[in-house]
Amino acid sequence: MSMALKREDQIPLSYSEVVREHPDVPPLVILKIDVQRRGVHYTQNALNVIDPSVHQLRSPNIFGARDAQLTPVPDSLLLRDGSSIVVDPTPLERNPYLVDVVDGQLVLTDQGEVLETVDFWTKPDFYDKKTSSGALMNHVITARPQRINVFPSGFCHFWVNDKGCRFCDVVNHLKQQRAELGIPTRQNPQDVFEAVREALKQPGRFTTICLTAGSDTRGAEPFDQEVDYYIEILQAIGANFKVKKFPSQLVATAFTEKQLARLYEETGIRSYTTDLEVLNEELFEWVCPGKAEWVGYREWKNRLIRAVDIFGRGYVGTGIVGGVETAKPKGFTSEEAALRSTLEEAEHLISHGVNVVFSVWVPRPGSYFKDQKSPSLDYYVRLAKGLHQLRVKYGLPVDFDDYRRCGNHPDTDLARLL
Amino acid sequence: MAVKLSDEVIALINNSETVKVLATVDQDGNPHATFKQSLAVGEDGNLFFLELLESSQTNRNLVRSIWFNRKVTVTVRGKEGQSYQIKGKPVRNIIAGPLFEQKYVEVRERLGDVDLAGIWVIEPEEVSDQNYWTRKAAEEAAHPYFLHLDRLAK
Repeated sequence: MSMALKREDQIPLSYSEVVREHPDVPPLVILKIDVQRRGVHYTQNALNVIDPSVHQLRSPNIFGARDAQLTPVPDSLLLRDGSSIVVDPTPLERNPYLVDVVDGQLVLTDQGEVLETVDFWTKPDFYDKKTSSGALMNHVITARPQRINVFPSGFCHFWVNDKGCRFCDVVNHLKQQRAELGIPTRQNPQDVFEAVREALKQPGRFTTICLTAGSDTRGAEPFDQEVDYYIEILQAIGANFKVKKFPSQLVATAFTEKQLARLYEETGIRSYTTDLEVLNEELFEWVCPGKAEWVGYREWKNRLIRAVDIFGRGYVGTGIVGGVETAKPKGFTSEEAALRSTLEEAEHLISHGVNVVFSVWVPRPGSYFKDQKSPSLDYYVRLAKGLHQLRVKYGLPVDFDDYRRCGNHPDTDLARLL
Repeated sequence: MAVKLSDEVIALINNSETVKVLATVDQDGNPHATFKQSLAVGEDGNLFFLELLESSQTNRNLVRSIWFNRKVTVTVRGKEGQSYQIKGKPVRNIIAGPLFEQKYVEVRERLGDVDLAGIWVIEPEEVSDQNYWTRKAAEEAAHPYFLHLDRLAK
């Protein structure tokens, strides 16, 4: 502990120093974290490799990029161990990693040093097709290497009275995508049905479907309209399957038991995630004022735990924006204290069968926290290790949100060893 | 350091009648050996095989190997008694993309309703002839004391 405290007063450890510091954490996972933390810039040589008929370029997404652009660069990267780096293009002045071509190979470099070979994601067969209504399918659903993404709605009602999560750019990004690409605010369930039907025609391409959207507070009970809409979309997707339940993940608001029971019983959804974002009550109220206003930190946690009774142990999760607990001015001033507090709260949830996974906090230009700085690489490595060790301690599987079905959580990459 | 496999070894590995065993090691050093009849040599000179089970011990051990730079061994034995051991390192796990999808379709055509977790690519680093008579000749040359005297008696 004292070493770590001392470290905070020093220059942050470099990638190679962090690798040496954590011999029990795979260097590829550490690299992935740092690439997500710092972002990437594609050199012209790397861009010349793109074949738009083969490679997946940036698709409509629920969140924006660090360069605030919708440029047609590669969507993200694959490492040689099969894991993804979900990462967005980043201006050079922010010191990102470079994706370059060296000796004919696509590589990640830093300060001129070649660190790893990488691949671009390949484009699914459905991407350039249209639904019967004329919608471009990649404007309806998108893809990761093994996952279908559905973003049914890019609007979050917490933003109505300026209470959107402070790290989040969802509505600003929606406005940009609507203006520049014509992406609708809400997806039509029939379009989603047709696009998923087309996606499933490609053998071996997908292992899961993930739905996520902004919160919708409206309804007889708060969020009833959000639930109704998910049910409609999920039933449309489910019509493509010969079984009732299919591998899938819903990332949504913290619903009541009654709402969750409806979702579970009336659709094919298999797992449920509702993001607490930050594991500290005071910080939650500051960072997620809309969530605090409509549900509250303790009730959000209780709803997560109660969801385990419905979806089962290992099929419920909560995401945190790793590092946002150090946001200024109200966040932890010490990385050590932030880590300790986060892992203590995570243990409470994991011990009750709720998975806790993190994504690397990227202060996005369209968010309230746009000028903030994420913590050190060492912090993230210790967070990944800590969450993984808790899952080991409580024997909690995380198949629905692992390296293959998601790819955006360095801590669940480590579950490949379990 | 990667080595190039001889044409004889490549032919042996790519022969469907050859018995092929992949040995990996778990976190505690326990060896784990399994038959992997899909083992073959690709155009790039590396070995590859199709792992059908995401949760298999072999798959987990190979993830550990690629992450922490640990070696694995492949032992093959032909129907004429030829036998080789290849030590190598997993260098790539292909879990998506055109090659993955091609192998996914092929393996399902061959085996029915199975899944494919990934294609593991193993770079050969060392090859040794494990045929008994070859090994015996080598031992007699290198270790003249490793025998019983009665074999030398008049």
